[in-house]
Amino acid sequence: MPRPSVRTLAAVAGTALALAALPAAPALAAVPRAASVPPCPLSALSKAKGTVNITLWHQFPRANEQAIQALTNQFNASQSKIHVSLVNQTTYQDLFNKYVAGLSTGDLPDVVQIEDEGLQQMIDTRSVLPVQSCVNADHYGELGDFVERDLRYYTVKGVLWAMPFNVSAPVFYYNTKAFTKAGLDPSSPPKTLDQVKADAEKLKSSGAVTQAGFGLKNDPWYLQQWLAKTNFTFVNNGNGRNGRATKTTLQNATGLQAFQWMSDMVSGGLAVPNDYLNPSSAVNNLIGIGNGNLAMTIDTSAALGTISQLLASGAYPNVGLGVSPIPSPPGSGGFRVGGAGLYLSTKSSPEKQAAAWQFLKFLDSPASQAQFAAATGYIPNRKSSVTLSAIQDLWARIPGYKVAYDELTSGADNLASAGPVFGDYIGVREAITAAEGKMFNGEKPAAALAEAQSKASATLAAYNARVR
Amino acid sequence: MTAGAPSIAVPGPAPAIVTRPRRSRPGLRLVGRYLLLSVLALVVIFPIYITVVNSLLPAPQIAARPPKFFPSSPIWSTYDKAWSNGHFGHYLFNSAVVTTIIVVGQLLTAILAGYAFAFLKFPFKRTLFVIFLATLMIPFEVTIVQNLTTVVDLGLYDTYAGLALPFLATGFGAFLLRQAFLGIPRDLEDAAALDGYGHWRFLWRVAVPLARPAIGALGVFAFLTAWNQYLWPLLVTKDDRLRTVQIGLRQLRSASIEQVNVTFAGVVIAVIPLAILLIVFQKQLIRGLTAGAIKG
Amino acid sequence: MTAPPTTDAPVTPGPRRRRLPDWGLGYLFLLPALVIFGVFIFFPFAKNFELALYRSPPFPGLPRTYVGFRQITDVLGSGDFRHSLWTTVLFGLLTVPTGIALGLVLAVLANQRLRGVAIYRTIFASTVATSVAVASVIFGTLMNPQVGLLPWVGINPSPAILDNPSWALPAVAIATVWQNLGLSFILMSAGLQAVPGDVLEAAEIDGAGPVTRFWRVTVPLLSPTIFFAVVVGSIFAFQTFGQIDLLTRGGPQNKTNVLTYFIVTQLREHQNPGTAAVLSIALFLITLLLTLAQLRLLERRVHYAR
Repeated sequence: MPRPSVRTLAAVAGTALALAALPAAPALAAVPRAASVPPCPLSALSKAKGTVNITLWHQFPRANEQAIQALTNQFNASQSKIHVSLVNQTTYQDLFNKYVAGLSTGDLPDVVQIEDEGLQQMIDTRSVLPVQSCVNADHYGELGDFVERDLRYYTVKGVLWAMPFNVSAPVFYYNTKAFTKAGLDPSSPPKTLDQVKADAEKLKSSGAVTQAGFGLKNDPWYLQQWLAKTNFTFVNNGNGRNGRATKTTLQNATGLQAFQWMSDMVSGGLAVPNDYLNPSSAVNNLIGIGNGNLAMTIDTSAALGTISQLLASGAYPNVGLGVSPIPSPPGSGGFRVGGAGLYLSTKSSPEKQAAAWQFLKFLDSPASQAQFAAATGYIPNRKSSVTLSAIQDLWARIPGYKVAYDELTSGADNLASAGPVFGDYIGVREAITAAEGKMFNGEKPAAALAEAQSKASATLAAYNARVR
Repeated sequence: MTAGAPSIAVPGPAPAIVTRPRRSRPGLRLVGRYLLLSVLALVVIFPIYITVVNSLLPAPQIAARPPKFFPSSPIWSTYDKAWSNGHFGHYLFNSAVVTTIIVVGQLLTAILAGYAFAFLKFPFKRTLFVIFLATLMIPFEVTIVQNLTTVVDLGLYDTYAGLALPFLATGFGAFLLRQAFLGIPRDLEDAAALDGYGHWRFLWRVAVPLARPAIGALGVFAFLTAWNQYLWPLLVTKDDRLRTVQIGLRQLRSASIEQVNVTFAGVVIAVIPLAILLIVFQKQLIRGLTAGAIKG
Repeated sequence: MTAPPTTDAPVTPGPRRRRLPDWGLGYLFLLPALVIFGVFIFFPFAKNFELALYRSPPFPGLPRTYVGFRQITDVLGSGDFRHSLWTTVLFGLLTVPTGIALGLVLAVLANQRLRGVAIYRTIFASTVATSVAVASVIFGTLMNPQVGLLPWVGINPSPAILDNPSWALPAVAIATVWQNLGLSFILMSAGLQAVPGDVLEAAEIDGAGPVTRFWRVTVPLLSPTIFFAVVVGSIFAFQTFGQIDLLTRGGPQNKTNVLTYFIVTQLREHQNPGTAAVLSIALFLITLLLTLAQLRLLERRVHYAR
């Protein structure tokens, strides 16, 4: 890849697009309302003597780790003022716990990768230097070129807290050959939950699958998507963006429809439930499709790279890969982002904060984003990235990659599609998953939904009581 | 049991022991015994066997139906990948260093404490014993954050000492060796006292050799717990430099299907040092058998 | 750490060897362990008594609220705690007796004088080389509904084994018993080797069958080891964490949410040191009572050589 020319192109394209898109995102460029945002000491970097060493904590598994390491090496080689070291902290959970422990002991990184839903808790640590400070201080003009929803996710009350970095979205995976065998048209995958059910029935009755049509991972992330698509928030107070969320908002038409659908699918033998909190079953649905037990599932777009590699190896002659947008109750809303953001730390020294900001700009440049997305399967968060050959080639080769990007760039951008902000996200996930599990063992959907709502809200209340 | 001091002090081969092989039993019974042992052995070893098989299969074949019970064309490259991706080269070295420190420390503290509880009389012995047992009732996970602060305050963050220090003594070890020492016949102690042995000499010359199987078991147990630590090494190290095997294993975990065989290879790599230790230790156990059966 | 005693008087035999009295030597021998315990177990644990009285913030440096005994009564009175305690007891009953019995049977079987018995000994002890993490990977795979061998041979409930409210706890128990089997076998073998061979031989000459010999001679002579295994096994069962974390994460529907897992998730997932402190103290006291009861009830029946 002729890197310099790509960079130049990217810069040109980026600027052009940034200018074109600028009016579209006025709220993001606005000065934060919260006056208490700490300053970003940009000038400290030039005053620092010698090389400024900074550390980034991440949790990427091997293939993705190599992709971020490659970017880091490029950055380190491109200049001599800043040197970045990466430390792999193995999982989001362990990383966050090490970060919290570091708040006591002082062992903290200068940049930390935290999964999307950790946003409220990161704000509550009172250790984050909001990226917004540096955006303002640096007069950073490229935010308009970002996929707007990526920025909206990490923006609360006008303050951009983290840089979106690795972004993903859930997509619908299906086996085109099983569709053909069942007499379904593989070029028109189901778009609504009801269509999934109808197709699952055909897949099962035709004998195209040995177990069930659909592999159902009960990840609350999908519930959030369905709510957002139909313009419902997941938590109250403007999805936690106008004020601290105090309750989940699950008991509405979409919530009930989703629970009813899941219940019908499982009790009718059309779906195999798969407890998403259970760590040993993360990829069961995809393996089930490979083995012909299942033919459809919803999973993260980040899995697409692996899947296409496996299929290309010829190991699964009976599988044809189909990727389409996540089926949903119809609505004018949009889907929300997943993945993780990168946070700066107020605990770092000024020159390290300034250096870390320079590195974040590099990681989120159009060229870096294109390179990272092509290597990992994450969704580029720069609009101009997709005009670059790396992404164009990728989309031509595996069209499924475009599906996730399109999901995040279509539909309404509002508080619902921006995604929820709330504390103790693991507790909320557990509450909802447990209620769904009960439903799969016979509880009525309305009762299960009510239980999910009350248990999740109690979790929020318990967390909120502790951060006052 | 009135053996002289020298024969106590050197619990060597001790030839005159236990039962003679029974030639009178019919062969059928012998076959039955082997059959029973073999079936049980198969049940115990099968999960490990299938893991080794899985580490050598192409990833899609791990999920194949019917399952593969034998890798027809083993893929050894999974071990290469696991070795480099899990950083096993220097993680194994770090684990070996930390584990050695912990095993030696635990054996010493447990021998001393176990001996005190078994052979010495002192006030509050029962209370102190309960205090030792009480340490077992506090899961390490509960104290881990405060211990991190302590280790940082001691200036031992990101050092081998910091990795090992909290584990140099366990109530388990003291309890296990107390039980073993209590099994030593009183006559031996009386005989040793007559020969002018003090406690220190009796401990190392008589009690420790006689309790060798239990000490061996404790050594293995200490090795295992130290080797398999994950949370503490992750918290108390700054970066890759001092990290240990289980962290490498966790780094191999992967949501991607194509790498499942590499995860299994990593599991096997992490187990091999323990397996070697076990085989070596097994001999010690058997020798312990003859040493334990001293006769007068 | 152990240097001081070597230079002390009791080392040298002779007329002056009793200069340090027994009680002094006893305390000296306990000192190294007590120092470690004090710094790394009792000191951090003592902090729980303070934490239990405060509603603690999720992150260091934030203000905390004094709530007195309210948090303690709230947590201990909750259905979650009672359920978790019951799950823990159930898990202990499923794993401890089974593990000891299997280890003992294997040890007795492998204690025969047979050609090649050493190979069987190595195999029976082999699971000791695995860890909780390794055992969890292995059993998670064996029980996996899509790739596992157990579903393939027909053990395939819906929801899948580890997602199934009635199957999950026994399934985790099986993985646990298997992983502990090696240690149990080694412990029992070590104990068995201390049993003098002539005693067993005498019993055989007296005409006792293998079953009678096992119950009347082997078990009583092994009672110190069995006693140890029961006490320590119960304590360890009450601290089960790793396999739950890796196989079920306390689910499905809390059916495997044993106390220690409950505590650790309060700390690591919900960042709630206050609740965790209350639960830790409860776990400590419950285990202590259990152990004291075992010491009182069982140790009377233990047959020591001295």
